[in-house]
Amino acid sequence: MILLRFAPALVALLAVGFPVATHAQTDTVIGTPTAPLVPGRAAPAVRGIAIDERIADDHGVVVGDTLRLAAEAGTRGELVRVDAIVRRAADPSEVARSEYRVRLHLDQLQRLTGSEDRVDRFAVALRDSGESVDSALARINHVAFGFRAHASRDVAVESSRTFQVVDRFHRAIGGITIVASAVFLLCILLLKVEERRRAIAALRLAGLSRRTVALSVIAEAAVISVVGSVIGAGLGWVVTLAVNAHYQRLFRTPLTFAVLTPGITLFAVTLSLLLGIVAGALAAWRLVRTPPLVLLGR
Amino acid sequence: MTATTPLIEARNLVRRYRTGATDVAALRGVSLTIMPGEFVAIVGASGSGKSTMLHLLGAVDAPDSGQVLLEGRDISQLSDADATRLRLLRIGLVFQRFYLMPTLSALENVELPMAEAGASTTVRRERAKSLLSFVGLGERTDHRPSQLSGGEQQRVAVARALANKPALLLADEPTGELDAATGAALIALLQQLNRDGLTCVLVTHDAALARSAQRVVTMRDGQIVSDERVAEPVA
Amino acid sequence: MRATLAFASLWRHPMRTLLAIFGLAIAAALLIDMVMLATGMRASFKSLLTSRGYELRVTPRGTLPFDTEATVGNAAALVASLRAHPDIERVSPSVGTTVQIASTRTTQSGSAFALGTQPDVQGEYSVLSGRAPSATDSTLREVIANTVLLARLQVSVGDTINVSVGRSAQLRLSEVAERAVIVGEARFLYVPPGLPAISAPLRAVQSLLGEAGRDRISLAMASIRADSGGAAATSARTEAVRTWIEQTHARVTAISTETAIVQVEERLAYFRQLALILGALSLVIGVLLVTTLVSLSVNERLGELAVLRAIGVARSGILHQIMLEGLMLGFAGIAIGLGLGLITARWLNAILRDFPGLPADLDFFVWSPEAAWKSLAMLLVAATLAGAWPAWRASKVRVAQALREEAIG
Ligand SMILES: Nc1ncnc2c1ncn2[C@@H]1O[C@H](COP(=O)(O)OP(=O)(O)OP(=O)(O)O)[C@@H](O)[C@H]1O
Ligand SMILES: [Mg+2]
Repeated sequence: MILLRFAPALVALLAVGFPVATHAQTDTVIGTPTAPLVPGRAAPAVRGIAIDERIADDHGVVVGDTLRLAAEAGTRGELVRVDAIVRRAADPSEVARSEYRVRLHLDQLQRLTGSEDRVDRFAVALRDSGESVDSALARINHVAFGFRAHASRDVAVESSRTFQVVDRFHRAIGGITIVASAVFLLCILLLKVEERRRAIAALRLAGLSRRTVALSVIAEAAVISVVGSVIGAGLGWVVTLAVNAHYQRLFRTPLTFAVLTPGITLFAVTLSLLLGIVAGALAAWRLVRTPPLVLLGR
Repeated sequence: MTATTPLIEARNLVRRYRTGATDVAALRGVSLTIMPGEFVAIVGASGSGKSTMLHLLGAVDAPDSGQVLLEGRDISQLSDADATRLRLLRIGLVFQRFYLMPTLSALENVELPMAEAGASTTVRRERAKSLLSFVGLGERTDHRPSQLSGGEQQRVAVARALANKPALLLADEPTGELDAATGAALIALLQQLNRDGLTCVLVTHDAALARSAQRVVTMRDGQIVSDERVAEPVA
Repeated sequence: MRATLAFASLWRHPMRTLLAIFGLAIAAALLIDMVMLATGMRASFKSLLTSRGYELRVTPRGTLPFDTEATVGNAAALVASLRAHPDIERVSPSVGTTVQIASTRTTQSGSAFALGTQPDVQGEYSVLSGRAPSATDSTLREVIANTVLLARLQVSVGDTINVSVGRSAQLRLSEVAERAVIVGEARFLYVPPGLPAISAPLRAVQSLLGEAGRDRISLAMASIRADSGGAAATSARTEAVRTWIEQTHARVTAISTETAIVQVEERLAYFRQLALILGALSLVIGVLLVTTLVSLSVNERLGELAVLRAIGVARSGILHQIMLEGLMLGFAGIAIGLGLGLITARWLNAILRDFPGLPADLDFFVWSPEAAWKSLAMLLVAATLAGAWPAWRASKVRVAQALREEAIG
């Protein structure tokens, strides 16, 4: 039946329209560091740094290479040795940021940028003494001068705002596509049943009861929607593979952009089944109410 | 016979239908000459090839071999566009079922061929109205086909067939779905048209109705088996 | 007559037709939204970048404007060199930093983004009320603030605030914050929504930063002299100046508006591609709906069409009539879809405008006549094509055959 051709696209819509799932991971060190980054080690003549995988990829830098690092273009800076290559964490707020990153020891960066004994932030771990994060925060902020303490969870909330916006957008788009596909599916199913009004009239004339005719129409619509949605789910899965491959390459991130979970598949199949039944029932109701001769003739 | 050229002449028409392996010859070498002003009835058993014959005469279908000459011109091998133009302007067709456009009013149905022929709105509206009054439906011009009886619908169909003043009226069992009285009235209408000079070809099952024509052609198995003049056509 | 026939045949099954129109309207709405999304970001960003007439942005090498905290030193010499170039009309240098602000009247305080500019050439904000700070100040005396800051600190134009640089702990400790009067309220073009911001003369902010700010800027914007020759000539001159800047000043990167747009487009490629895919899918589905409906109605009416052909209606006549049906469906769907699309676009735009770090004035869904024409044209072409296939089939109906089949029923 022709409907089989349509359903996959609709279900693919469902699958792609769904919110992008992401997993937070920590940065991974790739490549073999010849000299491990040891904190507090006495500063050698040429110190080791870790560089972004992107620099390595773009400029063919490998572990052991010597680079010149400066705070400002055109200044002398100092020589450093690449000790490790780091792959970016799968962090949604990093998506679409294309600048390079290097990691070096704090004192080295401070010296390089001339920022003396200054830091942007430091992380504080609480001793297991039963003090709550909130009271520690209040205590620090009370004595703080020129800085402010934030709880990690608040920072996390703030930094995931990008992700939240994208997520909300996806949910909205997902909602729209689901409504749209529901209407499309309903339309096409109804039209396709309409198309067979003559055949249905013939069945009725042959003496089949309204019930039997209606049930067979509904059953057919239901079967077609389920088969279509299963094929669609398969197609959707292929699409997620393509989407992930494409955006992971484009944004240079290990983030997963689209996932087809069993839940989504189930949702898509159930929704199609429901729509199939509704469309079948609507069409059947219209058809069995009309006298068969009217269906046949003009 | 007079010396005038025939209005339409069929020469050795052959028409075969291929369905799968079987080959049905609907017409096997039929020749027929119809003079201007004649009223010819074609009768025959079901499947004898009457409709096929009529379609060939009306340039609706093309023969596998043989010729159809309308006013001396071969119309059996016309291009689709030329055949269409010919049907529009020279031939009026009336079918067993009324085949009006269900979405148009009686008046619009009659206007349709004139609009297609490029007539202006005022001209075609006038003519459609007078044609409808001629067939006795002057009061029902705005009715949809579904609001008309079978006999009335068939009258509208006749009016539509006359719209572009055709040279030839072809009717395929026009009374097939009408009761005897209504059917007879329709035939009377055709007779009146014929008296006014229109050449008519009527296909029918009904031997009695066929006797309203001046000439009865009988077909069997795709061939003409008799061609008789009716001494005194039933009025 | 043809239009009457087409309309009447659609109206014969009102339920079915309305359903198809509704489906088409949704497809149209989705398509319009996606065209708005795909073209809107670019248009909106471009108008934002060019709103104050600066075509070139000069930043510390390898960075984007205000994307990092990097600054360029020896700024006065750099700006002077830029201003000396014959093709450069104006140069607006600026420095950005985070400051702590406390109201002297209310007890409110908080951090804010502080922008040092030269008020006479600045292209960063537009004054809503009051005036810009005096251009000649070399220490902080007057600031102009955005609405968010005024609301956050519960202050208004005319009030005095204490400003200190967050990084400079000593200032806060010794309570030596600079005092400044808010002389005006401004809308900052490139500041994200919800971020409190002030602007003061460049030298005042530099001196506020102390040693870290001495003769340093974060960004310089340059406008190109618009002489004769039109847009193409200006664009070529812009590119020439851009190359000149990068060659003469190794410490900076010069970005033209065009490149900036390309870069932003790259960053937001995801949305554009999503828009493209969804738009294409909705187009396909719209086509599918029209084709299905028109095919259905053609199949039902083969007999009628055959009669039309038999009484002399030309093939092209049938073709026109059926395609007209597709077009009518298309028009109705588009009309409804347009409204629907505009409503959903506003909603989706509101969601995306919350995107952190984007200028408040950046829109994702922009209604432009171009977007409208594009989507309308696409939809109409699609509806025409969708009707074309069944129309072509209808025009090829074999008259004699169809008449016979109809007679048998
Ligand atoms: N499309 C077709 N395919 C196969 N056979 C056909 C086709 N059309 C007509 N025939 C055959 O051609 C023969 C003549 O058909 P035709 O319709 O001309 O007969 P008829 O005399 O008009 O019959 P009736 O009185 O029932 O209308 C019949 O045997 C019919 O089965
Ligand atoms: Mg027949």
